[in-house]
Amino acid sequence: MKEVRVRILENMPIAAGINRLRFALPEKVEGLRCGRFVNLSVGDGAHLLRRPIAICEHTGDTVTVCYQIKGAGTRLLSARKAGEELTCVLPLGNGFVLKEDEHRVALVGGGVGVFPMISVLKEYAGTGRVFCSYMGFRTKAAVCCEDIFRDGSARAKLVTDDGSFGEKTNAVAAFFADLENAKPDVILSCGPLPMLRALKSGLAERGVKIPCYVSLEERMGCGVGACLVCVCDLENGARARVCKDGPVFAIGEVDL
Amino acid sequence: MADLRVNVCGVPFKNPVIAASGTFGFGKEFNEIYDISVLGGISTKGLTLEPRLGNPTPRIAEGYGVILNAVGLQNPGVEEFIRDDLPFLRGKDTVVIANVAGRTIDDYAGICARLDGLVDMIELNISCPNVKCGGMAFGIRPKSVKEVTRAAKGALKKTPLIVKLSPNVESIAANALAAQEGGADCLSLINTLTGMVVDIERRRPLIANNTGGVSGAGIRPIAVRMVWEVCRAVSVPVIGMGGITCAEDALEFIIAGASAVQVGTANFTDTLAMPRIIGGLNEWLDARGIKTLQELRGTLRLNN
Repeated sequence: MKEVRVRILENMPIAAGINRLRFALPEKVEGLRCGRFVNLSVGDGAHLLRRPIAICEHTGDTVTVCYQIKGAGTRLLSARKAGEELTCVLPLGNGFVLKEDEHRVALVGGGVGVFPMISVLKEYAGTGRVFCSYMGFRTKAAVCCEDIFRDGSARAKLVTDDGSFGEKTNAVAAFFADLENAKPDVILSCGPLPMLRALKSGLAERGVKIPCYVSLEERMGCGVGACLVCVCDLENGARARVCKDGPVFAIGEVDL
Repeated sequence: MADLRVNVCGVPFKNPVIAASGTFGFGKEFNEIYDISVLGGISTKGLTLEPRLGNPTPRIAEGYGVILNAVGLQNPGVEEFIRDDLPFLRGKDTVVIANVAGRTIDDYAGICARLDGLVDMIELNISCPNVKCGGMAFGIRPKSVKEVTRAAKGALKKTPLIVKLSPNVESIAANALAAQEGGADCLSLINTLTGMVVDIERRRPLIANNTGGVSGAGIRPIAVRMVWEVCRAVSVPVIGMGGITCAEDALEFIIAGASAVQVGTANFTDTLAMPRIIGGLNEWLDARGIKTLQELRGTLRLNN
């Protein structure tokens, strides 16, 4: 991980309340990969905490993240223009790793959790894997990146909570409804806690033993594993750092 | 190059910049970003005799120019620290300060006895606002400050004792004197100020613990004032902290009388904050032809 100054190349809305931010790296950064995240300054002295945001795409010298404009900090971030600089620590966290024999991959994403799923599609494109994507959005105005999911997946279901786009359902329900067709070797997921809980209980109720990994979100302090602010509970009673030990955990390992 | 070395109650520091407890873990993570041997010292995450899980999340929130935290002393316990983390810190060329807390006076004495001679200094955390028992309970009244300091000091044969003071008190100078009378070799201040941030949509405090400790640039003037008050009241050396983000901030504390400084929240905003502060101190002193920090320390001249 490195502390760098990055230059904004693009910072624009792609859906209601969602911005895509692409920035240029000043130097080579090792270890950029799917499911890891960056910790971005929002660019003023009043907001002391960085915003941890999942990597969506990366090239050798650029990184793209997508973020929800939710509070004062992300509102400020959304006002930053191309050409301006931000400080950033990256890459952080463990990320998603697919094993050789994990050929069929189900991606279950909800809300801003769809963006780390894009990072997986991009990372493993051309490896011959079969992706089945189940992406849930609040409403039609929030739907984005449809082409990326349709082009990168053998099966892609984009659904909304209110039925204004696609089926009126959620990502987890859409996934379970299509489980027989997807036949995944592994399930990767990211989304709000209630969604991840539904996924965990759904797998348990159905007795599904397929390996499943989830990426967690938590308010962070340092982002590098030092301050113990962003912990999650583990099933064994211990606590783990979301920023350093995660954000990706085996679903059976974490107490959601 | 100015001489940034300082000596705090017999312990030599290569420079006055120390990582503040709770923001730097046991140094391993930041060492992935830069060699932490450049630092004057490191105060560890608060340690207790037994492992602690800390508070529920969210444990952090933001105000204007400040943050609030309520981690609640999550730590692996002193034995795991000694086994897994201390050898790494000992391998670094920096002063190792163990920050310690407890539920009872016996806990404080016990953990001090266990760490005596193993670390360069011990910092007694009697000012953590985020735990129900111990922590700040001992740090509020002069009588208990003196009592817990005396017990800790009595358990230490080799390692100098720092007492970390709470700002959430009637008179921080009175508590400083009480710690000095109890045998403290050094004082550090300020710990965080107790605060609250409310989520107005949910009408609930944002932090799970309801209240949290306020730190960051916004509290600096309060911290400088308190360090100045304490430096006037006591004869033992003082380590100043509270909202230091750059060399100029650190110099305010040193001019007010601090022998060294700690940097906490700035590590979150800029992982390279402390190396930059060290570089900035050198530049500032060089630009003014000041050769040592001793020339500056406590040189504050009051108006009238």
